[in-house]
Amino acid sequence: MTLWSRLRSWLRANLRRARMDSEMDAELRFHLEAYAEDLMRKGVSRQQALRRARLEFGGVDKTKEECREACGVRFIETLMRDLHYSMRALRKSPGFTTVAVLTLALGIGANTTIFSAVDALMLRPLPFPASNELVRIYSIQQGMFNTFGNPDGPSAPDVRDFAERSHSFQSIVVYDTWRKNVNFGDAAGEPEQMSVGLVPAGYFEVLGIRPIVGRLFTEEENQEGKNYVAAISGWLWRSRYADDPLILGRKIRINGEPYTIVAVMPDVIPAWVEPGRHSQIWTPFAFSDVWSESSRGGRGWATLARLRPGVSLEQAQADLSVIAAALAAEHPVDEGVGAAVKRLADTRVGALRPMLFLLIGAVSLILLIACVNLANLLLARNSARQRELAVRAALGAGRGGLVRQLLVETLVLSLVGGAVGLVLARIGLASLARMHTEELPQLTSVGIDWRVLAFTFVVSLVTSLLFGLTPAFVGSRLNLVDALKQGGRSATSGPSSQRVRNILVVTEMAMSLILLVGATLLVRSIIRLERQSLGIRQDHLLRGRIYLPPVRYAAAGTITRFCDDFAARVRALPGVINATVTTVYPPNNGWIQMLDIPGHPVTRIQDIPSAQFGVADAHFLAALEIPLIRGRDFAASDSVTSPPVALISQEFNRRYFPTEDPIGRKIHIGPPQFLRIPRGENTSDDTDVTIVGVVGDFKNAGLAHSPDPQITVLYAQHPLVNYGFKDIVIRTAADPNPLVPEIRRQLHELDSDVPFADVHTIDELVQAETGSQRFTTLLLSSFAAAGLALAVVGIYGVISFLVTRRKQELSVRVALGASRANVLWLVLKQGLEMAAIGAAIGLAGAWSAQRLMGRLLFDVSPVDPLTFAGAAAFLLAVAAIASAIPGVRVLQIDPAQMLRQD
Amino acid sequence: MTKQIDLLQGTLDMLILKAVSLGPLHGYGILLRIQQISKDRLEIQQGSLYPALYRLEHQGWIASEWGESENRRKAKYYRLTTAGKRRFQAEAEKWNRMTDVIAGILRTTPEEV
Repeated sequence: MTLWSRLRSWLRANLRRARMDSEMDAELRFHLEAYAEDLMRKGVSRQQALRRARLEFGGVDKTKEECREACGVRFIETLMRDLHYSMRALRKSPGFTTVAVLTLALGIGANTTIFSAVDALMLRPLPFPASNELVRIYSIQQGMFNTFGNPDGPSAPDVRDFAERSHSFQSIVVYDTWRKNVNFGDAAGEPEQMSVGLVPAGYFEVLGIRPIVGRLFTEEENQEGKNYVAAISGWLWRSRYADDPLILGRKIRINGEPYTIVAVMPDVIPAWVEPGRHSQIWTPFAFSDVWSESSRGGRGWATLARLRPGVSLEQAQADLSVIAAALAAEHPVDEGVGAAVKRLADTRVGALRPMLFLLIGAVSLILLIACVNLANLLLARNSARQRELAVRAALGAGRGGLVRQLLVETLVLSLVGGAVGLVLARIGLASLARMHTEELPQLTSVGIDWRVLAFTFVVSLVTSLLFGLTPAFVGSRLNLVDALKQGGRSATSGPSSQRVRNILVVTEMAMSLILLVGATLLVRSIIRLERQSLGIRQDHLLRGRIYLPPVRYAAAGTITRFCDDFAARVRALPGVINATVTTVYPPNNGWIQMLDIPGHPVTRIQDIPSAQFGVADAHFLAALEIPLIRGRDFAASDSVTSPPVALISQEFNRRYFPTEDPIGRKIHIGPPQFLRIPRGENTSDDTDVTIVGVVGDFKNAGLAHSPDPQITVLYAQHPLVNYGFKDIVIRTAADPNPLVPEIRRQLHELDSDVPFADVHTIDELVQAETGSQRFTTLLLSSFAAAGLALAVVGIYGVISFLVTRRKQELSVRVALGASRANVLWLVLKQGLEMAAIGAAIGLAGAWSAQRLMGRLLFDVSPVDPLTFAGAAAFLLAVAAIASAIPGVRVLQIDPAQMLRQD
Repeated sequence: MTKQIDLLQGTLDMLILKAVSLGPLHGYGILLRIQQISKDRLEIQQGSLYPALYRLEHQGWIASEWGESENRRKAKYYRLTTAGKRRFQAEAEKWNRMTDVIAGILRTTPEEV
């Protein structure tokens, strides 16, 4: 038809209303005058003719008004009237309005929050030019992403060979991030431990970043001795130097040495790109020895590479695999070592990936439940309004008018719900950012994703239109008299619409049970994770970190002396029970060492014994309260000059001395002879030690794993691995936190330029370890609670409706002598039936989600029968209560009175 | 002057379409034309003509433009659009069918039932 002409005339009418009015005036005036002239021609006087013309025409203003309406000019006025009426109708049923708005808001808010976060974390393109060319290269062993020492990264010589031999990459860079003592030399003066990116000249070029001011590092500055230049972040420039335009050339002291600022870099590098924590300072990658052949086994470097344009990930992988195989043949230390390439964008969430998928699933369920609930609410409301609609139709309201009215009402409801949902999403994102800054710093800058908001809003709008408008169509075809008669008794709806509502409630029940099961499993898992024994006495234990830079602590002896002095001063503090300088403590050790154990001859690299390794002082066992099982503890007599001794854990004993007594046995710290890795950086100790004691196992490979074999030695006896990175673990009598300033003062009395950093209790470290699980658990639990609340509202609504309809029947039953319990059971049964069917479907759903859940659970089966049964029982109980309330309410009314009512 | 009959609901539109199908007319002209064709047997409330015209124009059956009247005055002229032509034919057919049926029913004698 002529939608276009209608629209045009409507637009013309509304936009040029004044002109239309004047045209209308002219047209009607013409009519009147023409008629009058005709009358005058018949001999009527002019005055008389005009009067008659006007009279016979009828009301001019009324005609004009009707003309305007005919063109749709009245649209706005009608809309306002409908709007007004809708508001009144919604205000008149505050219960329905509140629940509907909250339902909408919850669905929209939760989805907008989670999808905005997921988009920022996983989906959004990286903030670099041609970012899909950016990849990372990993080292793999036997197909696993794990190597000796640090997991994942290749060694520098391997990367150099990859770069030289492959044709897939524009460039590959090796870099790292180190904790360093930084002193800005400004008023505050206090040294800080910061993570400093050690990056080659090409690092920023690979990422495609230009400095805001200054220049990139040069090739030459990658040489040790010429590397005293630094680039700082825009954030640091702003916060530390107030955007000082003369920033270039100023000096920062890093580890006691002055570095000249040569560049300010834009704040575009996300924290996760740099291993460890977010770097605000970068200095050149100047390690003289990492490129030498002796460092080929020194893996664990972070890499960044840019593919040549047009080269696919698969091509690059195939290319690298060939080169890695060649390297493995050429170098014994590369035997069994492969290389894998991953897109940089895919490395950003790491271990959180399955959790994010779980959360996506959960919020999708919430959206579904919300829509179902909304549908249910609207159906209930409209079936109760059928009488009202019938009356209005009887009074002459056209079908169009009724539809328009319901449409406006639904729109108002959806808009209000959407607005509240938007507020919820803002709150949600703000609290996400607060909850999870450590692991996912990207979250702090997540904004609302308007596409998601629009999507969820449209979904809920369609739902409300679908279920909100049906009565208008069904109702208008309804026999008016029937509707009025039926409605006169009680607002009923046909059996088919009741069936739809029952199905909706069953769906809600099923979906909320899935959420309930998931949340319960996660809660149980996290409790198991956190409640397990670490193998030490966990309470009142404080950990702090220090770093003694080589510039002032070059000799191992000076480090030993400093650490011993520091620990002795701390032990002397009132309130301190014991203190140990150590690199070993739960829940993570993270320093894996290859060993050569006599009686364990190996020829293949993958068979080399390895264990968690670390250095400590003689107070280690006593301070952590690790039980000594056999042999003796470290002693004060174990000194630099005496033979080196070691403590091994029970797991070490089991694994490497299953049948013999380990006490007195000698082992070599370092790889066996055939590997012949020359002494390099932090990988090798190369000393023989005598085992003097076996100690209890403690968590050293993370909370989720059983303890690895552990071997601990004295740093005083191992100058080669007596590095400046040391931690102090302090056992206190009461809350350790108030002691921190005094401990820091003691440290600064020894050296005012060494920061006391990363101070946390062991409890806090454990919680940090479970942070992402807590995060997921908290979110999933709140979703489960929300889903359950919606489902309860749903079942309550349906049962109250049914009870209202059966009021009379129930009263008759009571009047005829049925016991109240029996009658109550009749009501309850209907609710329980729906809940039971829903629960059965929900359990099947939870069962099918076991693969996703399994990856997130610790020591709990994803189909744990206790959880399944408990969650189902809980759901049934809640459903029973929700159905009992309307039942009890109807029984409280006097049956005689009830029967008289109608 | 014979007795005038009131317009059946919904028939005014059809009459207007018929009137303008014979050539462009202004509102007053349409009124005259209908009266002329009906030999003054139909009573049309003059004021009710215009809302009908605006509605038909809004629906796209007729279109309007300003022109000059016989007595050299500015007047708004309506003409039938192509869509209006189709619409008029359909309406007229429906009307004829209905009147046939109704007339047939009314003609029926008791014996025929």
